[in-house]
Amino acid sequence: MTFRDLVAVSLGNLMRMKLRTFLTVSGVLIAIAAFVSMLSFGAGNQAYISKQFDELGLFNTMQVYPKAKNDSVAADGKALDNSAIERLSRLPGVNLAYPYDAFSVSAQMGDSTISAKAQALPTGAIKTKLFSQLQSGTPFSGDSTRQAMLTESFLKKIGVTDSDSIIGKTIIISMKISTIDSGFGYVLKGLREQGADLIEKIEFDSLLHANYRNRLIRSEANSVAKQFMNGFLNARETISDTLKVCGILQQKRMGRIKIESIIVPAKTALRFSTTGISGDPTQLFEAMNSGTLFAEPGDTDGRNFPEVTLDLDPRVPYKQIKDSVEAFGFKAFSFAEQFDEIRKMFIYFDMALAMIGLIALTTASLGIVNTMVMSILERKREIGVLKSLGADDNDIRFLFLVESGVIGSIGAVAGIFLGWLISRAASGVAQYYMTRQGLPTAELFALPPWLILIALAIGIVVSVLAGLYPATRAAHVDPVEALRGE
Amino acid sequence: MADDFWMKTNNLRRYYRRGQYEVKALDGVNLELRRGDFLGIVGASGSGKSTLLNLMAGLDTPTSGTVELEGRQLSTMSRQELARYRGHKVGIIFQSFNLISHYSALQNVETALYFNDTSRRERKEMALMVLEKLGLADRMTHRPADLSGGEQQRVAIARAIVKNPEILFADEPTGNLDNENTLQITKLLAELNQGGLTIVMVTHNLEMAREYAHSVVRMHYGRVVEGGERG
Repeated sequence: MTFRDLVAVSLGNLMRMKLRTFLTVSGVLIAIAAFVSMLSFGAGNQAYISKQFDELGLFNTMQVYPKAKNDSVAADGKALDNSAIERLSRLPGVNLAYPYDAFSVSAQMGDSTISAKAQALPTGAIKTKLFSQLQSGTPFSGDSTRQAMLTESFLKKIGVTDSDSIIGKTIIISMKISTIDSGFGYVLKGLREQGADLIEKIEFDSLLHANYRNRLIRSEANSVAKQFMNGFLNARETISDTLKVCGILQQKRMGRIKIESIIVPAKTALRFSTTGISGDPTQLFEAMNSGTLFAEPGDTDGRNFPEVTLDLDPRVPYKQIKDSVEAFGFKAFSFAEQFDEIRKMFIYFDMALAMIGLIALTTASLGIVNTMVMSILERKREIGVLKSLGADDNDIRFLFLVESGVIGSIGAVAGIFLGWLISRAASGVAQYYMTRQGLPTAELFALPPWLILIALAIGIVVSVLAGLYPATRAAHVDPVEALRGE
Repeated sequence: MADDFWMKTNNLRRYYRRGQYEVKALDGVNLELRRGDFLGIVGASGSGKSTLLNLMAGLDTPTSGTVELEGRQLSTMSRQELARYRGHKVGIIFQSFNLISHYSALQNVETALYFNDTSRRERKEMALMVLEKLGLADRMTHRPADLSGGEQQRVAIARAIVKNPEILFADEPTGNLDNENTLQITKLLAELNQGGLTIVMVTHNLEMAREYAHSVVRMHYGRVVEGGERG
C-alpha cells in the first residue's frame, strides 16, 4: 500500500466520522494554538531585544573598564589613559576606541538655562550606530568644529517639542571652575591674616615636648586644609563656549553606555573636559585619582578615564577581542556576550512556556488515543477484510498512524493559524496599553518560521506517538476472529 | 518422493482452548489439490470446514501439521510472507460478503489491489473490467447497503478475482442467498473454474457441491469422513 493510498484511505475514514474527527482535531488545534501564542510572545521579546541591540550596534560594541571598581585607575596601576586607548585601538578587530569623557556644564539656549552634562566625542564615534540615529539635523563635521549635538531629553528639559526648530540655533555652555591656584591663594591669604596670631599662640617652650608638637601640627594642618578647600571651591572662574546645534540624537535606552545630553566634538571640548573642578566636591577626588588636579586647561597628558568604548569589527569573534583586552589588565564588557546570556535566559523562558503548551497537547493526545481505539473497535471487521486481501501488520499499523498523523497535521496547521490570531490580538491590546501609558510601542509577539516548523512538527509527532498504541493494537487484530463477526 | 499436487495438507490440526477445555476444530486432515481443481467441502456447522479454509488461505496457523503450497509449508512463512501470499495468490469470498460498508462497489473491488503492487490507474481499470464482466457496470458507485444480496456477493467475487489469484476460497458463498442467486453464484464459480481458477468451496449443500465440484469431502467433528483420503 503506497503512502498516497494510506493518506487517501485515512482521509476517507476521518471524513466519515466528521463530528468525532472535528472534536479530536479541536483538541490538537487548541493545544497548538496555546503553544504557538505563548512561544510567539517569547520569540517576539527576543526579536525585539535583538533588534534594539542591532539598531544600536551593541553587538559590535565593547566597554572597557579599569579592573578596580568605580575607579579610573586599577588597583594594580593599569590606568585607562591615552596610551591605553591607543593600544586598545590597535587590537585586531577593534575599529575605534574612545573614552567616556564627560563634564558638568550650565547650558543656555535662548531664555532657558539648565544644568546638564556634556560629553566629548571624536567624529569616528559619531559615525558608529550608537550615535548615528538622529531625530533631526546632521552629526558634527569635525573634531574641532564649534558644533554640538543634543539629545531628546535635553529638548524635553528646555521645553522644546519640535526638534527641527532647534537645528542651527546657538547653545552657550559654561563651566565654573575651581583651580589649584585659588586654593593655595586662600592658604596664603590665611597665613597673611592669621600668621601673627599663630606665632603668638605657639608655646615655644613646649615645642620640646613631642605631644605638644604633634597636637600643634595636627591643628595647623587641619586649618591649612580647610583654607585650601575653601579657596578651591569658592573662588571659581567661568569658562564658556558658544556652539551651533547641528543634530538631535534619538533617545535610546543604552544600559551601560552613557550618552549625555550635550555632545561636543572632542577637541572643542578639551578646554572643558580637562580643566579644574566645576564645584562638585566628588570631582575633586576624581581629579586627584585621575591625575588631572594639577592639569592645565587643554592638557590631556596623564588623564585617566573611567571607561572606554570599543567599536568592533563584526567579523572578529568578540571573545577573542575580550581576551586581548583582559590580557592588557582591563575589564571588558561585551554586549554580544550579554545577548548570549539573554538568549540563554529566553531559552529557559521559552521552555517554560512550551511546557504549558505541551501539557495541553498531552491532553489532546489522549483524545487521539481514545478516538483511534474507538475506531479500531468499530472497524475490526474492516481490518480483518484488509488482512484477508493481503494487508500485512505494517499496512494496518501505518493506516492508523497516518490517520492520527492527519489529525495532528490538520490540528497543527489550524492551531498555528489560531495561535497567530491570538498573538495578533494580544499584541494589539499590548500596544494599546503602551500607547495609553505613553510608552514607546514595541512588537512583543513574533511568529518566526522556526516556530511554525516546530509547532507543525510537534503537532504531528505527538499525534503519531499517540496513535502508536492503537495502531499496534490494530496491527495485531486476528483476521479470523475479526471476520467471524458478531 | 516428489508428487505433482499443487497444494496439500498433512495431518492438519487446529485446537482451540476454551477455558479449561480444548476444542479440536480440526483433527488430522489430509487433502490434496491440483491446479484447476474444484474442491467442495461439506459438513454440518462446527465440523471444521471454515477452520480448514482459513488455514489453507493463510489466515490462521495450525496447531500441528502443515499446509504446503508448491512444496513450501505455509507455517514456515513470516507474517509478511503470508500477507503477500494472500495478496497475490489467494482470493477469498465469505458467506456474509464482508464488503466495506462505506466504500462503493468499485472501491471495494479496488481495495484488493492495494496490496499487490498494482498502480493506481491500473487498479481502477481492472476493477471496472471485472465489475462489468460480472454484470455490475451500473452498480459501481453503489454502496453495499444499496445492493441486493446476490449483487453484494458478486461484488465480493469481483474483489476476490480482480487480482487474478491462483486459488479462490469460498466460505459458504451462497449461505445468505435465495435459490435464484445461489444458482447464479454457483454457476459463476463453475465458469471461473472452467477458466482455470482453482476453487475450494465450503458449503452445507452436498447436492450443489456434487453438481459443480470435481471432488467433494465431507467433514464431521474436525475430521474428513468421506472423500479426500490419500492412498
